[in-house]
Amino acid sequence: MYRGREGQWAFFLHRLSGIAILLYLLIHVLNISAAMWGPQVSERLFAIEHTPFFRVGLLGVIGAVLYHALNGLRIILMDFTGWGVRLQRELWYGVWVLFALFFVPALIKIVPEILHTMGVI
Amino acid sequence: MAIRARRYSQAKAQAGTNLELAWWVFMRVSGLVLVFLVLGHLYMSNILINAGDVDYNYIARRLSNTTWKIYDWVMLSLSLLHGMNGLRYVLDDWVRDASARFWTKMVTYSLAVLVFFVGSMSLLNHDFSKGLGESTQLEHGEGTR
Repeated sequence: MYRGREGQWAFFLHRLSGIAILLYLLIHVLNISAAMWGPQVSERLFAIEHTPFFRVGLLGVIGAVLYHALNGLRIILMDFTGWGVRLQRELWYGVWVLFALFFVPALIKIVPEILHTMGVI
Repeated sequence: MAIRARRYSQAKAQAGTNLELAWWVFMRVSGLVLVFLVLGHLYMSNILINAGDVDYNYIARRLSNTTWKIYDWVMLSLSLLHGMNGLRYVLDDWVRDASARFWTKMVTYSLAVLVFFVGSMSLLNHDFSKGLGESTQLEHGEGTR
């Protein structure tokens, strides 16, 4: 395929994040759909989901989605523009810059919420 | 085998069948649409609100709104197809034994069909507005997030 370490990491992380997102998607759809069986069923599920452990896991899912989305845009640029492949390495660093730009504010918003439920703050 | 091309013209040359080329194109088109749908979904359920506050009432309100039924169903269909086709590429590459690959695919495809069915039922075939109280219905009128 394309030579160079960045390209291979980009490819591997795209797959890994994709598999993680698919796994979450399957569980998430069943979990939300369980509301069809009434409030008791879904409240019991939400009680598990709102534990700090699962909320931190959700941050991981958000990060995976963000990387997969941004790197997916990089792949589209590589496939449909004349310059995308030539600049694939620079584009990958661009992916991480945008990732940080979106993910850090999200962390600043969400982490205190989790700490709050833990009683830390 | 997954297409390794980096350009549409190369993908066309590498695709064994028209169907495989169609999947290659689908992954890019659905991916582009999903960037907006999924990031919008994450923004609405993690940034605009506290995800830890989501409860049955929130779900019932959201799933009583036609806009969100359509939004969620398009997102469900596209993401399942995109994700399952991606998994197919991964299994073709990583599971070398033909019979193990076949059975892994059968099990995961069946699971995806089940999830699509259950998800579609909750979006299109279940009346969540029934259980909503007066107060929440007033909120509903303001629009749900």
